[in-house]
Amino acid sequence: MTQEIETGIRIRVKKLLDLGEVSCVIGHEHGPRGHTRPAFVYDSADAERLVWDRTCHHNLVAYVRDKIATLARGAEPGSTPRVAVVARPCDVRSLNVLIHEGQVTRESVFVVGVACPGMLDAGDPEAQDGQALHCRYCTERVPVFYDALVGDPPKVKVPDEPWPGVAEVEAMPPAERLAFWTQEFDRCIRCYACRQACPACYCFECLAEQVDPPWVSIAHRVPQKAFFHIMRAYHLAGRCSGCQACEAACPVHLPLSLLNRKIAAEVEALFGYVAGANPDTPPPLATFRKDEELPL
Amino acid sequence: MHETFEPKIVGFLCNWCSYAGADMAGTSRVAYPPNVRIIRVPCSGRVDPLYVLKAFQEGADGVLIAGCHPGDCHYGDGNYHARRRYALMHRFLDFVGIETGRLCIDWVSAAEGARFAQVVAQLTENVRALGPWTGWNDAC
Repeated sequence: MTQEIETGIRIRVKKLLDLGEVSCVIGHEHGPRGHTRPAFVYDSADAERLVWDRTCHHNLVAYVRDKIATLARGAEPGSTPRVAVVARPCDVRSLNVLIHEGQVTRESVFVVGVACPGMLDAGDPEAQDGQALHCRYCTERVPVFYDALVGDPPKVKVPDEPWPGVAEVEAMPPAERLAFWTQEFDRCIRCYACRQACPACYCFECLAEQVDPPWVSIAHRVPQKAFFHIMRAYHLAGRCSGCQACEAACPVHLPLSLLNRKIAAEVEALFGYVAGANPDTPPPLATFRKDEELPL
Repeated sequence: MHETFEPKIVGFLCNWCSYAGADMAGTSRVAYPPNVRIIRVPCSGRVDPLYVLKAFQEGADGVLIAGCHPGDCHYGDGNYHARRRYALMHRFLDFVGIETGRLCIDWVSAAEGARFAQVVAQLTENVRALGPWTGWNDAC
């Protein structure tokens, strides 16, 4: 299955680069330490480097915007550089968010969509049925849009029971919930890997590092760490596609997806909006309906 | 301990309605709890959710956001945006451990001095019942 996707990607990429349709392809390759890592391919001879397996956790859409900007700097005036990106269904939804926010134009990206068989758990890939939790509950196996699709859409059975995690935290009494998050946030080392891995976190200067005004002090203490994570989660409200690249990137395995999933669930319940699902729907916090009744 | 606890509440009031409403409460000699520290903002839509977070992080026990009634915004639609933002934030703060009762968003017009007093009294009461917000400070 993944072999088929990998071959499909290589054939596609070779053709794209040979025909000069794109100047760069963003895909995955094997790194020196046994993990997969993002790869930037400019020459069709290098297409063989590209791999795809169920440990490719990076959301490559995070590199699209900067890559286009870099290529544009060296390009002929008036020409618009175009890149191809290998993207899973969740990645494509985050690309949709970027297109909607005017960060990337649809014409400048060639989407090599992957019919996704689901990823392995980043924390424990050796585990029995090591499928990542968010993939086990995912019903979206084909991207919302693509220029080329590789792989066959797999038939998957989503478990009947509700997705665990958010409901368990919601069920805790307030004091226990606070204790739970205190304990989790305390483990954060403020490396900002979650932010770097996130395609929706593209601010030129992150508030967490801004010194004037100092929104978040550099102290390595729980209040600052909590502030950072709550701020990040809220900035992703209605924008997070749930790819969980943040959680896969986290060196201390914080349950960051709980925050994002909670907000995504609330956004869907309150505003009927799923991030990136439909390019024509305005983002929920950038619009309003005068007659809506919201619980305050 | 709670007998002597006086909640600190940060109030973000919109310049055009709620701030004038608070003024009205004062000029009409309506008594309301002195626990609220008022910050005047141009519009309830100006209140960045980070202001709320920052207030809690810096030791506020409760936060009040008050603006013009929906439809009456001086700028047309600022409070509609605020409404969406805080409907979401309310639920999210609860999820990360800041009780819902500590954050209040309400609409107070310039003529509603008594209503302003009532909103502040209610929030102060709620926060008093919840106790001081120690945030994540206990652990560090």
